[in-house]
Amino acid sequence: MPTLAKVRAAKRAAMRAGEAGMRTEYIAFGLAGETYAVPIGQLAEILRPPPITEVPRAPRAVIGVVSVRGRLVTVVDLRVRIRLPPASMDRRSRILLVDNGTEHVGFLVDDVQQVWRLAPEEIEASSVLGGDQAAHVAGIGRPAGAENNVLILIDLRPLAESA
Amino acid sequence: MNEGGGRGDGGARDDFFSEAQELVDGLGRDLLMLDEMLKKGHVEPEIINDVFRGVHTLKGLSGLFGATRMAGLSHQLEDVLDELRLGRIDVDAGVLDLLFRAVSLYARILSSEKGEAEDPVHDVEQLLLALGQVSNRRAGEGVGAVAQYELDPGLLGVLTEYEEHRLRANIQQGFALYRIRALFSLATIDTALDAVKANARPHGEIITYLPTGSGGDADSIELEILMASKASLGVLSKAIQTGGVSVEEVQRRAPSHSIHATGLPSPPSDASGTAPSISLHPAHPREAPSLRGGPSSAPAPISDVPGLVASNVPSPATGAKSTRPGSGEMSLRSVSQTVRVDIRKLDRLMTIVGELAIVKTAIAKLTDRARSRFVETREFATELGRLNRSFERHLAQMQNGILEVRMVPLGQAFDKLARIVRQISREHSKEVNLVVTGAETEIDKLIVEELSDPLMHMIRNAIDHGIEARDERLRVGKPVVGTIALNAFQKGNHVVIEVEDDGSGMDPKALTAAAIRRGVVTSDEAKELSQREVFALVFMPGFTTKEVATDLSGRGVGLDIVRTNIAKLGGVVDIMSDVGIGTKMTITLPITLAIINVLLVEIGGNPFAIPLASIEEAIVLDESALRTIELREVLSVRGVSLPVCRLDRLFGFASAEHRRGRSFVVIAQVGDRRMGLIVDELVGQQDIVIKPLGRSLARVRGFAGATELGDQRVALVLDAAALIEEVLIPGETRFFGAADAGRS
Repeated sequence: MPTLAKVRAAKRAAMRAGEAGMRTEYIAFGLAGETYAVPIGQLAEILRPPPITEVPRAPRAVIGVVSVRGRLVTVVDLRVRIRLPPASMDRRSRILLVDNGTEHVGFLVDDVQQVWRLAPEEIEASSVLGGDQAAHVAGIGRPAGAENNVLILIDLRPLAESA
Repeated sequence: MNEGGGRGDGGARDDFFSEAQELVDGLGRDLLMLDEMLKKGHVEPEIINDVFRGVHTLKGLSGLFGATRMAGLSHQLEDVLDELRLGRIDVDAGVLDLLFRAVSLYARILSSEKGEAEDPVHDVEQLLLALGQVSNRRAGEGVGAVAQYELDPGLLGVLTEYEEHRLRANIQQGFALYRIRALFSLATIDTALDAVKANARPHGEIITYLPTGSGGDADSIELEILMASKASLGVLSKAIQTGGVSVEEVQRRAPSHSIHATGLPSPPSDASGTAPSISLHPAHPREAPSLRGGPSSAPAPISDVPGLVASNVPSPATGAKSTRPGSGEMSLRSVSQTVRVDIRKLDRLMTIVGELAIVKTAIAKLTDRARSRFVETREFATELGRLNRSFERHLAQMQNGILEVRMVPLGQAFDKLARIVRQISREHSKEVNLVVTGAETEIDKLIVEELSDPLMHMIRNAIDHGIEARDERLRVGKPVVGTIALNAFQKGNHVVIEVEDDGSGMDPKALTAAAIRRGVVTSDEAKELSQREVFALVFMPGFTTKEVATDLSGRGVGLDIVRTNIAKLGGVVDIMSDVGIGTKMTITLPITLAIINVLLVEIGGNPFAIPLASIEEAIVLDESALRTIELREVLSVRGVSLPVCRLDRLFGFASAEHRRGRSFVVIAQVGDRRMGLIVDELVGQQDIVIKPLGRSLARVRGFAGATELGDQRVALVLDAAALIEEVLIPGETRFFGAADAGRS
């Protein structure tokens, strides 16, 4: 699976970064035209969406449940979860699997793009966007030498706590 | 049991907990039996020995694992029990209370050793003090009745203190003493002696036996067995007199008469006590010998002849009793997760594994042949199909076998309840008799554990609210002693547990009044409630009819927790009650949680699984037999009205109305409630492993979990009980609707 290869590459990159300095690896993904990124350490796995079973009367953001190698995973539409307009799945859609300690929760994203290694000075505090940013926005990534890329760094763990 | 003893590694410590837990449990059970006997004024000596052995084993075990508080308590208990055994102090309700306290303290110490509770230092010290006072209290002096019998002083001289106590006790009871002489061949003495003992046991108690020193030759030995019995010489002779065995009665000493027995000091080779010193300690005879076999549901261990129990040999039988213990005062759940397994069940599993290995080898061979490419495809497919079927069959057996291993008798939970009944009824000065049936009914270990606390609440409730005070019972002409019946039985794939009391019952009017007063329902709503709905009010959070909370119940917590806990296990609780006659609560539970047989159906194009256990039948929906009664759709099935629920509508699937073709009705039954679930298609039966939905979906109603179908799809498993409650008891939505409104 090419996405898995990406994760592996990212991990290798992370190890190199460990030698180089205090860089953190982020996986960038698309959501409603914006680019978001999440620390690689938060992800257990990246999946192509298998057939998803709808759960009637579930919270709105929950798409349904899937089985990942025998483990039941609740799949949440990340767009809906962070109040972006919903969209239908296509062949670029991916599920980011997060282990919240008690269970795995999958977040559906539009696509998975690339790995960024960000140094602390390449990250702006989320407060630059104004006073009350949602708890899941951890900051803004501005990779040096790629000024056109603005990454919204988010923390998926609080989002995985409650769908 | 303790290969890793004392080294504190996890496995050995787990063993310690499970072993200790079982011992504590066994103790509780034995004490209950003792309590029962005490009430009947007839305490069998072996039961005290059992308790003594249990405590002794516990002492050794806790010492080994450095559980010092436990060892200390055991030591002190052992002292008290030894005095009891030897008749130096009397068994009475006070002493028994202390012993029961010790059992619950053991449970708390175990929890604290596990780090799950606080160390009950203070309580242990108090109990130690109380126990110390008891062991200093000696029983009154008895009479030297033994002297009246024509017993050889030589024989009396070699009796252990315990044997002597038993001898005196029997004489005091007015039982006759018999001397049995039997000649045994040395080659077969073990079995032959056992046979004599077995014959004699139903008639009385064997006090001791010794070689006579005469009558034997190099290959045989003559034993003299001293026995006390209610039976006449004739009856006894008939029972045990065979070749080489003679019975005679030991006469009371009138004119002096010499005795045959010479009472050699050399002891028999087994555990019979041989303490050489002995002057007669007077003791109180109050225990009569007879076989054990109390009313308890617990399997009585085969006990040895009482007189032969050497005082310091821990009995393996005590350790082997399988039951789970009560821990703590607040919860009856055991600290141990261990399941004791019948070795035969494991053997069966082993056999199946062996067969699976054979299948594996065959597959490997077939794979090799496939690689060689000379194999014909068709033949290959046939072979593979055959192997697959074989594999499936063995796998199914394996699953069943493992399920069986998970099954334990409900008695494990019931034993603890008996202790609770005793404790509560004493605290509350209500006399209550617990009658248990069906303790042998097997159910998944997990369910048994989760059942203890709900059952405890129900029984507390029955004693506090159900059983009337003594005066009241007399006034209405009921027996002074109240009865709580705990019945368990299997019904299809369910286990039914009934808790029934013969108390005052529940008055529907009082219930509704209380519910209105507490704001659980409005008076308008109350008018519409059916009788069943009225009784169901007691399961509402915060509901109580008591104006004043007591220790036992009435705080309005309890029954709602009962229902919640039972629902978590996929079960339902029903209540029936008649004023003045009593109340019966019925729990209906699935036998196991792990693998279930389901009917796969399709609703709105989605697969769903309905546990077969809750399905009565499935029929084609006859739209013309549908009626609407008070906005509720009802189907007439063979002349009986069946409320139905259109699942596609309930689940909000689109295009519900315009589906072509026929629909089906799956008739679900849980407890004695029935409902028809209307589905689009019946797909077929399947065994599935049910998995819980994640926490983020925990509040979604109507599903017990989900399962993976063969084709990578996931099917939700319907929770028939929850659906029936949701649809049939609109009170539910009425009472809780607000809380859920914002969620869908």
